[in-house]
Amino acid sequence: MKIIIVGAGEVGFHIASHLTRENKEVVVVDTDPTAVRRVSDSIDVQTILGSGSSPVVLEDAGIREAEILLAVTNRDETNLVACLMADTLSPTTKKLARIRDADYDGYHEIFRDNPPHIETVINPEVEVVKTIERLMAVPGAVDVGEFADGRVKLVGIRLGENNPLAGVRLHELGAKIKGARPLIASILREERLIIPTGNDRLKAGDLVYFISEEGQMLNTLKAFDKHGEPVKRVLIIGGGRIGTRLAQRLEEKSLSVKIIEKSADRCTELADILRKTVVLCGDGSDQDLLREENIQDVDLVVTLTSDEETNILASLLAKRLGARKSITKISKFSYFPLMLTIGIEQVVDPRLSAINTILQHIRRGKVLSAVSIKGEEAEVMEAVAMETSDLVGKPLKDISFPKGVLVTAILRDEHVIIPTGDSIVKPNDRIVIFAKREAIPKIERILAVKLEYF
Amino acid sequence: MRWRTILRVVGVLVFFLGLFMSLPLIVGLIYREDSVYPLFKSIGITVGFGGLLYLIGRSGGKTEYISQREGMAIVALGWIAVGFFGALPFYFSGEFGPFTDAFFESVSGFTTTGSSILSEIESVSKGLLFWRSIIQWFGGMGIIVLSLAILPFLGVGGMQLYKAEVPSPVPDKLKPRIRDTAMILWKVYAGFSAAQVVLLMIGGMDFYDALNHAFTTMPTGGFSTKNTSVAHYDSVYFDTVFIVFMIFAGINFSLHYQVLRGETLAFWKDSECRFFLGLVLVLTAVVSFDIFGTVYDTIGGAVRYGAFQIASILTTTGYATADYEQWPAMSQIILLICMFIGGSAGSTGGGMKCLRIMLCFKYCYKELFALIHPHAVTHVKIAGKSVPEDVMRSVLGFLALYMILYGLCAVLLAGIGVDLLTAFGAVAATIGNIGPGIGMVGPAENFAGIPTAGKWLLIWCMLLGRLEIYTVIILLVPEFWRK
Repeated sequence: MKIIIVGAGEVGFHIASHLTRENKEVVVVDTDPTAVRRVSDSIDVQTILGSGSSPVVLEDAGIREAEILLAVTNRDETNLVACLMADTLSPTTKKLARIRDADYDGYHEIFRDNPPHIETVINPEVEVVKTIERLMAVPGAVDVGEFADGRVKLVGIRLGENNPLAGVRLHELGAKIKGARPLIASILREERLIIPTGNDRLKAGDLVYFISEEGQMLNTLKAFDKHGEPVKRVLIIGGGRIGTRLAQRLEEKSLSVKIIEKSADRCTELADILRKTVVLCGDGSDQDLLREENIQDVDLVVTLTSDEETNILASLLAKRLGARKSITKISKFSYFPLMLTIGIEQVVDPRLSAINTILQHIRRGKVLSAVSIKGEEAEVMEAVAMETSDLVGKPLKDISFPKGVLVTAILRDEHVIIPTGDSIVKPNDRIVIFAKREAIPKIERILAVKLEYF
Repeated sequence: MRWRTILRVVGVLVFFLGLFMSLPLIVGLIYREDSVYPLFKSIGITVGFGGLLYLIGRSGGKTEYISQREGMAIVALGWIAVGFFGALPFYFSGEFGPFTDAFFESVSGFTTTGSSILSEIESVSKGLLFWRSIIQWFGGMGIIVLSLAILPFLGVGGMQLYKAEVPSPVPDKLKPRIRDTAMILWKVYAGFSAAQVVLLMIGGMDFYDALNHAFTTMPTGGFSTKNTSVAHYDSVYFDTVFIVFMIFAGINFSLHYQVLRGETLAFWKDSECRFFLGLVLVLTAVVSFDIFGTVYDTIGGAVRYGAFQIASILTTTGYATADYEQWPAMSQIILLICMFIGGSAGSTGGGMKCLRIMLCFKYCYKELFALIHPHAVTHVKIAGKSVPEDVMRSVLGFLALYMILYGLCAVLLAGIGVDLLTAFGAVAATIGNIGPGIGMVGPAENFAGIPTAGKWLLIWCMLLGRLEIYTVIILLVPEFWRK
C-alpha cells in the first residue's frame, strides 16, 4: 500500500516513521531541504523535494498508484490545494488533510462530498480537545481510548505505591473485584510492554491498560483505588486556539471555567469570544495570581501554552498549591518518559492526537477506529468482522493469531461481550483487537484478506 | 559505538557467506574434484564463526536504530570479514599459495577488481574457480544490497548501511522502501547475467564457462577461467557480447530499470549516461586510430581490439583480448586515464565515476566563467537542475582524497620495492577496481610477483576503491573510535 505524505513537519515525520515500521511504502514531499534531509536520513521512505500542491511533484511521487494522500503541512491552503490536485489527477486516492483554521469547521462535509473530496479533515486542536475531554471523563486515567461510540473504553491507569491491587496475580483479580472482571490488555512496566497472562502480578508503578464497558468502568476504577469525583471547576492556563476551544466546550457543559492568558490583547479577544468564562490576564506560573483565584479549590488545571517547559512548571506549581488534577500539553516526544519521574501523570499532545486520528483512517479493511498506546508499541483497533474473514465462526482459541494479539471485546448489536477462549465471533460483529506493533500488518491482513480476492 | 550490534550484523553476513559456499561445493561434487574437502572445511568454519558472532551480538538486546557511524563500521568490517572468510576455500585447497595470496584473491573478487595472483588458471579445480567467479557476482551489486534484498533481518537501519555501501554523490531510491529498491537492482542485475549466459552459450561456450564469465562481466569484475582471459576464444562474436554487457554494467542501474519499464529514451535523457557512452565512442576512435597500422594491419582489427580494451578498462572490468603494453604510448596513457574515470554512478563499475568527473569539469568551467564575468551568478547544473553546494563540495573532496591516497599508496608500494611503472599501474588498477595494471602487473602478467607487504597494501586499495574511500578510510581516523 502506497501512501504519500505532504509535509515533513512533526506530524508528517511521525506518521511516516510509524507507517514504515509496518512496512508500508511511504513517499514524503516537502519544500524544505532540511526537513526532507531529516526524513531521508532517519527513516526508510522515499523523499521528494518540492511543493505538495504542485501536480508535477505529485505525479513524481506516484499519486496515481497511491492509496492515500495525507496533506499535513502547517499551511491550510497548501493542504487544500494538494488535495485538489490529487483529486484531479487520481480521483480514487483517499485524501486526508490537516486543516486548523476554525473557519473551516462547518465545511468538512461539503469538502467531503464535493471536490476536493477530502475524506477526513483533521484538526489537531479539535483532536486534542477531544482527548482532554475523554481524560476528564475517566478519573485517574492516564490514557483513554474510545470504541463503539464510547460504549467500550480502553483505559490506562498508573498503579500507585499503596495500591491495594499491587502484587496481585491477574487470575486472582476476579475475587478482589466485585462485578465483571476487567480485561487487562497490557501492562507498561519500565518502558516495556507486557502482554500479561493469568500468572503475572501487578506491580506498583505499572501503567495498566484495561478494556471495560462504559457502565462497568467506574466500578473497575474504584477497584483500582481511583475514585472519581466529578470535575466542576477548571482552570486553563494559556489562551491560544486549543485553550479557547476547550473553554468553549466546557462552557457548554456548564462547568466553571477560568482561563489565564499572558497577552493583554489576546485577553480582550478571549473576553469577546467566550461567554461565561472568567478571563484573567497574567502569568500562569505566578503563585500570587493562582492563590488569589483559589487554586486549592480547582478540580483540574489544564496547561496549554505554546511553551512546554512553562506548561510543565505551571502544572507542578498548581498541584503543589492544592489543585486536584492537572493535564499538561507537551509536544516533545523525548519528554514523555520523564513525566512520571517529575510527577506529571496526564499528558496530551496535539500531534499524537492527530496521528491517532490519521492512523485509524489508514488501516485496511473495515477498521473503524484505532488508538495507539503510549510509546507506540501497540495499537488497539476496532473493526467489523467480515463474513469472509478468518475470524468468524470459530471459537477464538482455535484461531491462530499472530503473537502479541488479543481480542479484547466483541460488540454484538447492543451487547458488549468480554470474550473468553470459547467465544465465537459472528459476521458483522464489531471486535476490538489489541495488537503489538509487529503484529499489526498481519492483523490487517486477517481482517481484510479475503476482500482482496474479489 | 555499540559493538554488539556491529558484531551481530557482521555475524549474519558471514553466516550467509558460509551457506553460499555450498554453490561451488555443488560444482565440485558434479566434477568429482578434491576441491570438495577445502570447501566443506570452509563452510563449517564460516557458518560456525558467523553463528557465534551473531549469538555474541544478539545477547546485547534488540537495536532498532543504527547510527551513521555504526553503519559505516558495519559495512567496512563486514567487507573485511567477508573477504577473510571468502579466502578460506582458496587457502585450504593449497592451490593459491600462502594465506596472503588467498586473501588477495578473495578481496580482489569481492571488490570486483579482478587482479589475480594465479599464473596458471586453467589447472585450478573447477569448484574453486566457480567460487572465485561467484564472489565477484556477490560483490558487484554489494553484499549489503544483497542482504537487504533477500534477508529480512536488516530492516531498520538499512538506510545507513545502504548509504555506506553505495555512496554515490546523490543516492537515488527507486522505490519508497530500501528493501524494494535493493530487490529491483538485484533483479535487473540477475536478469542481465542470465541473458549473457544464454548469448555466450549460443556462441558455443560451454555452460560452466558461460556461467563463470557472466558472473564476472555484470559486476565489472574481470576474473576469467582461461589463462589468456577472453583472448582465449579469439572470436568476434564473443568480443561483441562482452563489449555490450560490459557497457551495460557501466551504466547506472536505475536507468536500466527505467528502460525496462518502457521509458526507452532514459539512456539518452541522462546526461551522465550520454557522457559515458560518448567517452567510450571517442576514446575507441582515438585508440583505434593510434593502433591502426602500428599494431594491427586492418581497421576492423584495430577497432575490435581498441573497443574491447576501452570498454574493459573504462568500466573497470579488466578482461583482456590484447596485451596493451605492446601498444603505442598514447593508447597506454589513455587506458591509464580510463582507470581513474570508471563507470557511471549507480553502476557496478569502479573508479572515480563519470558523474564526479563531469561535475568537476563543469565546476572548473564555472570558475573560468567567473574570471571573465566577475559578477555573474552561475550554478553547476546537471540535467537542468542546480547541484547543491554541499554535494559539489563532497565531490571535489572525494576527488582530492582519491588522488592523495593514490599518490600515497604508489609511494608506499615503490618503497616496498616495486619499480616505478608497476607502482603507478598496480595502485591505479586496484584502487579503481580494474584488474590488470601496467608494468609487471599488465594484462599478460599477474600480481604474484608483488612482495607480501605490497599485496596487503593493494588489498587495502581495493577495499578503498570499492567502498568509495570514506567508509574505509574513516576506520583510520581516531575521532571515529572515540566514545
